[in-house]
Amino acid sequence: MRIIIFGCGIVGRSLLELLKVRKKELNISYGLAPKILGVVDSKGFAINTEGLNIDEILRIKDLGRSVGEMENYGKKGAFELEILENIEFDLLIDMTPTNIVNGEPALSLIKRAFSLKLNVITTNKGPLALAMPLLLELAKHNNVSFRFSGTVGGGTPLLDFAKKCLMGDKILAIRGILNGTTNYILTEMEKGKEFSEALREAQVKGFAEADPSLDIDGIDSASKLVILANWILGKKITLKDVKVQGIRDIRVKDLEDAKKKGKTIKLIASVNGEAKVEAETIPKDSNLAVSGSLNAVSFISQYAGEETIIGRGAGGKETASSVIRDMIEIRGLMG
Amino acid sequence: MKFGGSSLADGSKISHVADLIKSYSKNSIVVVVSAMGEVTDRLLEASEKAERGDQEYVKKFSVYIREIHLAACKNSIRNKDLLEETSKRIEALCDELYRVLTGVSLLKELTPKSKDYILSFGERLSSIILGGALRDRGLKVKVLTGGEAGIVTDSNFGEANPLTEATFYQVKERIEALISEGIIPVITGYIAEDQYGKITTLGRGGSDLTATLIAASLKSNEVWIWTDVEGLMVADPKIIPEAKVLPKISYEEATEMVMFGAKGMHPRALEPAMVHKIPILIKNTFNPEAKGTLICDETSINKDKPVKMVALIKDVGMISLIGGSMVGARGTAAQAFTTLAKQGINIMMISQSVSESDISIVIKRDSLSKAVNALELSMLGKGIVRDISYENDVYVLAIVGAGIKYIPGVAARVLNALAKEKINVYMISAGSSSNSLSVVIKEKDGYLAVKKVYEEFNLGDI
Repeated sequence: MRIIIFGCGIVGRSLLELLKVRKKELNISYGLAPKILGVVDSKGFAINTEGLNIDEILRIKDLGRSVGEMENYGKKGAFELEILENIEFDLLIDMTPTNIVNGEPALSLIKRAFSLKLNVITTNKGPLALAMPLLLELAKHNNVSFRFSGTVGGGTPLLDFAKKCLMGDKILAIRGILNGTTNYILTEMEKGKEFSEALREAQVKGFAEADPSLDIDGIDSASKLVILANWILGKKITLKDVKVQGIRDIRVKDLEDAKKKGKTIKLIASVNGEAKVEAETIPKDSNLAVSGSLNAVSFISQYAGEETIIGRGAGGKETASSVIRDMIEIRGLMG
Repeated sequence: MKFGGSSLADGSKISHVADLIKSYSKNSIVVVVSAMGEVTDRLLEASEKAERGDQEYVKKFSVYIREIHLAACKNSIRNKDLLEETSKRIEALCDELYRVLTGVSLLKELTPKSKDYILSFGERLSSIILGGALRDRGLKVKVLTGGEAGIVTDSNFGEANPLTEATFYQVKERIEALISEGIIPVITGYIAEDQYGKITTLGRGGSDLTATLIAASLKSNEVWIWTDVEGLMVADPKIIPEAKVLPKISYEEATEMVMFGAKGMHPRALEPAMVHKIPILIKNTFNPEAKGTLICDETSINKDKPVKMVALIKDVGMISLIGGSMVGARGTAAQAFTTLAKQGINIMMISQSVSESDISIVIKRDSLSKAVNALELSMLGKGIVRDISYENDVYVLAIVGAGIKYIPGVAARVLNALAKEKINVYMISAGSSSNSLSVVIKEKDGYLAVKKVYEEFNLGDI
């Protein structure tokens, strides 16, 4: 399988590491023999139609430099989408950073890839949150595979569980904790820490971004909810259709009050008719009352009732492993 | 607001349209235009002549196209600079059209893709002129092709299907921004783009479909279709001189009426509005005071009156397949329909009695002899169909109304009214959605039948 990779940050590098370490196993067990024809990062790109050496890519990235500086194949400067038309390959993997304002440059990249009949994997929530109905329609129209397991739940296969394991049943509603950072903050606040202190801790531990507003204002949860609603429930919604509320207004006292009644407060994303993200007071023994940076999602289906999946949210390695899952699936569909 | 070709037939009409738009400019408006008058038909003709290598025709045609559009500029734009600027753009487009047609005439080859490209000139020209006329009246305007506005289709040239989700997203992104800046987008109807940026045309429903797609993308309050009639009529005024315009009908009723030849919208164009429950108002450009016909959701329709409209479909013929051996013989109907499909003949109406000894079919009259011939060749003498007869002096009497399904006895009242006048009924069929009832009668009884149904259901009283 011939691949071009966009984005070489934590997830991108984790993926390359995994592909290197698991090379033999992936080949023997799944017939997956990926050949990286190109890598694009923010400052340049490297292309070799014979396949790039993964070790070399990793070495230059470890030096904190752009792949554009790679010997022989590297080129500094912006990657023009037209270049895609001149390379024959099978799969484009987009691991560029999330842009929640207009989804670019990933949105244009994915659209172009579809029109060139390329399969696409993305770990980027931006284009999906903003234009998922469009992307699903274009993938179908061009008869290509489009997978995005890494966008929701990281290594926890939430999307696959609902789509495959609950096949034949009718999922009526989805409720869940889709953001690890806010769940960590709420858990720490329940122990008595102030919001700002809990947030600082989350940043130190590496859950939260330097600018954590996407997490604590509920935007990240809402983006994941959009993806679940489109993919699992077939609802054609985008981020604009979700009513979003974050956790900035939650005080330690609120959590103490809830605790006295055997309850707790969680940032719950739900879709049941209306799609919304808001802090809800739920019973301590509820399936969704998970602590720390865990994610938990309940699928409420017509016949099987409520099924809950709990797992760790995103992280570089976890997300990269979800990309490999997607690669194996696309490999299967290809032949 | 969408303006049809007849509303934009010449410079003075374009002036009138520009004034009309200005009078509504306190609202947020998006304008969708057809090509001027019959320009699309002329372009089609020219592309076919070019394919046959007729370079003389291409030359003459190019002069003609340039003249009518430049004249329209002159008669609709008063400001000198604006007129010059607009005329220059028209000239440039006409030059391009001439080159394209010449290319076709040299190659003697016309692909569906190049045909769509040639047809697109009609709307591209008219939109530039109307854009100029609106600017001349002090309005802020942006002229866009359907593709530039965000309408994206598959690559089925000649009758492209919109990719609706992609269209909704792109139109919203591009057009909302213009509207919020107080700009009136003037968008070419009928033409769009595929995902590679190649120009496609929407085929049936054309510009109306452009309008409803844009309305659905923007969640508009209403779509106004400006045309040269007052709206949809209760009955043909040639038969019932006092027939009135229907004030309000449902999407489903409108779909039926269009099928019955009323001058309205193609069902394909109704679809996006129907799904997103956006009301459509059909209005007369040349009598804007008149109320027109509102096409809207069934829930807001008065159901007390079972019948809304009666129409006579004239260009039809009826074929009957008869034979005792048809009883229980499986596949007879399938064979008949397949035979007709292979001849490219569309079946308008079907009925078979429970005894299975006869099947009647109504088709367009001009394909009657072709159809009878094909059916005779494929079905006679095989021991199942004994006889194939046909009638070329029949009409279909169509009765439309959403209330037919709620109020029992409509069919009985129709048949009774006809029986009183000794009008024989040859075939009858009610759609499964029960928004209409179709009856086959003799040509000579046609007008009388319409009058009697009109009287029976008090259609004058709206």
